[in-house]
Amino acid sequence: MALQDVCGVGRDSSEGTLFLSRGGAAGATPSYAGLGGGRNPLNFYVPAAGFLGRGPVRFGQISPPPSGTGEAAFLPTAPGTTSDVAPLPFPLSHGTTTLGFRFQGGVIAAADTRSSCSGQVACPASQKILPIHSHLVGTTSGTSADCALWKRILSRELRLYQLRHGRMLSTGGAAKLLSHMLHPFKGTELCVAATLCGWDRGDPTASGPRLVYVCSDGTRLSGKLFSVGSGSPYAYSVLDGDVRWDLTVDEAVALAREAVYRATHRDAYSGNNVDLYHVTAQGWRAGRVVVTKQHINHHDMELWALPGGSGVKFHSSEKIELYWVELGLFLSI
Amino acid sequence: MALCDVSGFRCGSELRGQLFGTGPSLLSDRANHFTFGTKCQEFAVPAGVDPSAFLKSCNEDDGVSIEMNHGTTTLAFKFQHGVIVAVDSRASAGNYISTKEFNKVIEINPYLLGTMSGSAADCQYWERLLAKECRLYRLRNNQRISVSAASKLLSNMMLGYRGMGLSIGSMICGWDKKGPGLYYVDENGTRLSGRMFSTGSGNGYAYGVVDSGYREDMTMEQAYELGCRGIAHATHRDSYSGGVVNLYHMREDGWIKVCKEDVSELLHRYKKGMF
Repeated sequence: MALQDVCGVGRDSSEGTLFLSRGGAAGATPSYAGLGGGRNPLNFYVPAAGFLGRGPVRFGQISPPPSGTGEAAFLPTAPGTTSDVAPLPFPLSHGTTTLGFRFQGGVIAAADTRSSCSGQVACPASQKILPIHSHLVGTTSGTSADCALWKRILSRELRLYQLRHGRMLSTGGAAKLLSHMLHPFKGTELCVAATLCGWDRGDPTASGPRLVYVCSDGTRLSGKLFSVGSGSPYAYSVLDGDVRWDLTVDEAVALAREAVYRATHRDAYSGNNVDLYHVTAQGWRAGRVVVTKQHINHHDMELWALPGGSGVKFHSSEKIELYWVELGLFLSI
Repeated sequence: MALCDVSGFRCGSELRGQLFGTGPSLLSDRANHFTFGTKCQEFAVPAGVDPSAFLKSCNEDDGVSIEMNHGTTTLAFKFQHGVIVAVDSRASAGNYISTKEFNKVIEINPYLLGTMSGSAADCQYWERLLAKECRLYRLRNNQRISVSAASKLLSNMMLGYRGMGLSIGSMICGWDKKGPGLYYVDENGTRLSGRMFSTGSGNGYAYGVVDSGYREDMTMEQAYELGCRGIAHATHRDSYSGGVVNLYHMREDGWIKVCKEDVSELLHRYKKGMF
């Protein structure tokens, strides 16, 4: 049965260890990594694992193409461009701004929407926050293609886990799973830096908002506030000053928007719009804010003060169109 | 200098040479990089050394790589009551904090300040040299040097040694006849005039919070608070910044040192917002 194959029930897994079978006889068939036996809950599929050890051009271990890491999901195939694009003037690192923080009302995840490729804005309206399931979203930073692929793999693995075991994996568990899936690619050019923002239900001892940062170099950190990307320093200082546990939802959203806006103001690789996601016990909801500067002269900017904060004020002179799309439950459990 | 030629003034070494019939023999008498005001534009470099080639060898990917990072946070911004200058006070040597309270603002004269980021030795030396030149200007021309000219002097000094491994990110702040002045000068010779600058490894963090809270018509207390906040948040996130915030306010009648606050105290005060 197809479902039987997919769930691995009754499958004889020859590798009882964490290590993958590299190269070898697997060929085109996917290799499953198991921990301690075929019925282990953490069976997951590692794409292209068979290529990791093979030459001549070993997967992911070539020197980066000139258009480099951290760029668009696809190389723009404009007429006249060849594979020899101009070399990068300097090494780029995660050209984006994403952030997430948790508070009493859940988790806020925010990101800009600019995808850049060799100094060109490849897509001004890309989506850097990808929903994984109804109560988990992940912000992405690094190579767009890698992030999109691994998010989908993670979604699938979480769904398989849920089918096999009847409960949804927690945010921490999902983060651990993603980290273990990315581990075989450590040292290659794979570049994924994701912040998983979710609301854990079910287990009474560990429920509520949860925020975990996972990086393809092996980092996995749980915390209260993260910002990733080239624009992260600009966002960090705005967030550090005003993030508190007892923020209201409106304050938290305004703060996240302001932090991303500050980063887009100073960072060349962040810009265009701000995506905002709010994860609660009922699921996530999303909105995209178009931030257009009506005037550059900040003499005329109006401000409103964040209640309870001191010193930091937010600018409101930009024409902000905010539309909340109540996308609600992504899939019903 | 044009005035030098017009007035027939000759520097002491030439006079001595004429009087005693011998050419300039002491190092200080020879045309060297100390004599900015004279025609000979030679710059003294130790013989046999090629700093640019040496530095190029230190920047290759394989092998020794010397990273010239400006490990600090300094910021300055103009507002209606003048210029606020705020700096941190950590001097680091690699991973070692060599000084916890290092004053990164050089008080050139009562109406001119210079900040330091980058190599401490370079900044101290070149900004003291700038201070000497500003004093000489005042004596020769009987009027204060403008902020624009002072920053230009520093920028030209940097250009003379471009590519040789200097590391300076400095902001020259002052109040002259044109009002408050703020210039950013770099070791590449970059010289930019602006309303707000922040330099050093923590500059991103400072930019975020100062951009967010900046208003042209702030009161002085709000501006002091904003300056302190910028440095405090930067020291919270950047490992190469820390210590105390030295806060200066450049006013029409000169600068005042507003406060010297320990960063931990400041962060504790803002603790309501931070984890």
